[in-house]
Amino acid sequence: MKKYFSVFKISLAQEFVYKLNFIMWRLRNTIQILVFFFLWSSVFTGGSEVSYFGYTQSSIMAYTFLLVLIRSIVMSTKSTDVSGYVSNGELSNYLLKPINFFKYLLARDSSTKILNIIFSIIEILILYLILKPNLFIQTNMFQIFLFIISLVIACFIFFSIVMLANSAPFWVPEIGWGVQFLVTVIFVEFLSGAFFPLDVFPKPLFEFLKLTPFPYLVFIPIQIYLGNISLLENTKNILIGGLWAIILWQVMNKVWKKGLKIYEAVGR
Amino acid sequence: MDKAIIVDHLSKNFVVNEGGKGIKDTISNLFSKQNKKIVKAVKEISFMIQKGELVGFMGPNGAGKTTTMKMLSGLLYPTSGFISVLDFDPFLKSRDFLKQISLVMGQKNQLWWDLPVINSFEFSKAVYEIKDKDYKKNLDELVSLLGVSDLLNTPVRKLSLGQRMKMELIASLIYKPKVLFLDEPTIGLDLVAQQNLRDFIYEYNKKNEATILLTSHNMSDLSDLSRRVIIINEGELVFDGPLDEITLKFAQEKIIKATLSEEVDTKHISEIGTVKKYTFPYIYISVPRSTVTFAAAELLQKFPVIDLNIEELPIEDVVRKVFKGDLNK
Repeated sequence: MKKYFSVFKISLAQEFVYKLNFIMWRLRNTIQILVFFFLWSSVFTGGSEVSYFGYTQSSIMAYTFLLVLIRSIVMSTKSTDVSGYVSNGELSNYLLKPINFFKYLLARDSSTKILNIIFSIIEILILYLILKPNLFIQTNMFQIFLFIISLVIACFIFFSIVMLANSAPFWVPEIGWGVQFLVTVIFVEFLSGAFFPLDVFPKPLFEFLKLTPFPYLVFIPIQIYLGNISLLENTKNILIGGLWAIILWQVMNKVWKKGLKIYEAVGR
Repeated sequence: MDKAIIVDHLSKNFVVNEGGKGIKDTISNLFSKQNKKIVKAVKEISFMIQKGELVGFMGPNGAGKTTTMKMLSGLLYPTSGFISVLDFDPFLKSRDFLKQISLVMGQKNQLWWDLPVINSFEFSKAVYEIKDKDYKKNLDELVSLLGVSDLLNTPVRKLSLGQRMKMELIASLIYKPKVLFLDEPTIGLDLVAQQNLRDFIYEYNKKNEATILLTSHNMSDLSDLSRRVIIINEGELVFDGPLDEITLKFAQEKIIKATLSEEVDTKHISEIGTVKKYTFPYIYISVPRSTVTFAAAELLQKFPVIDLNIEELPIEDVVRKVFKGDLNK
């Protein structure tokens, strides 16, 4: 455990070297949120009682603000670099150390996540003061507890998906960046609810999506926070999400095991 | 004695995609598998290394040295054959195995690029679970040996190539591994540091009973350090034995070095052997090993020779010829 804490500490130190880089990254996130905010506030010009797709103005605002926080918890990661390590051989450095590579990455991600969470909370406070939106605050402790569990599940699903994308260069060394883009932007961002609430989709499509792992990254945790759904539905969500987390983790392990057998440790 | 490394009929094949030149070829490559070629990087090599032995590993570029070392350290999965290092199967990457070995490569970068070097060492301390006392002792020893004590707080990216190499070495040795795979460790080092490092490797081997496999293109690395060498060429093992036996095995010729009292016509001397070099009064003649005594006698009889020496070919020359494939078993 001490090893991984040391990974955490040194990663944090490394983050601080690139202060400007980090600020730019946060700025990008904030702008994304502003776009989301203005888009939806123009939809809700009719007043606070109007609801579209089951969302009132205050719940969509809560959705927006939660999005900032959840993205920084679930989606802030350094593990997207790994596809590069695989294709340029830098992976060898990690394989030679008496350390579990996945745990190493998780420890490194934790430092990024914590930093991002702190910043996103500051941003939320600032945006709240500027925009003064009508927000929904969840007070039911049980609902908040479920929300936290759903976030942990989301982190593991996200990590496994990223690591699966990262394994592509074992087979096709030139592919690295392309797969990463396809997976993180198209699948993860679009289908997870990071662009819009997924229940705006037609019902059959929405129901189908709920069988895939993607909604459990962003959309479902937000739903659980907002408390829009029954306890039964909540439990079902946690179970399906948890199942996906386990399945994807196993698949990731298998794929990496195969990949390492054909890993060529090039370049050195 | 205990065997530290056992390698038996070890092979490694790589599948290589032969890329074409233009866009057209690139696109057609995407769809066809015809351009896939199997490259046999290592072909059925076998050897054993005892605990505490220091062995030189030689071969021209692309001979398969690094591939072998990568298999020995568990990075590559062998196509076929058996490896055991300290009774471990390297590819399984057990923690206990990884804690006892180190692969040091000339161009490796395991340091944290943006942070002061000392952070990387402290990171190693945590990862390898080194005790405070040992860490301090090992670090002091390595730092003073390589003369880098004033650079510990410099960010890695600001170090020069040679300085960085030294730091890489420290990071690779700070946990006192029992088996060292050194792949061109002196690359990029200045002459003083090279000598220091050689002394250090020698000491390290003696003091810790460490098993060391060392590749280098620097002949003095090998002749100073290792009595035994293994030579591979094009993936095949061509020699395994004491360094000085390379000459006996591969050089079919000896050199007669003669001092002459007056100038002679080299044409006449060519009848005895090949004239390698002639700068009066010295002449160097290469003759077959089996006839060297006759040649010497003839030389003494027919030419104005004051002094005569029979020498082996310089080891560099022999090795060069072995690499080129000029000499066969």
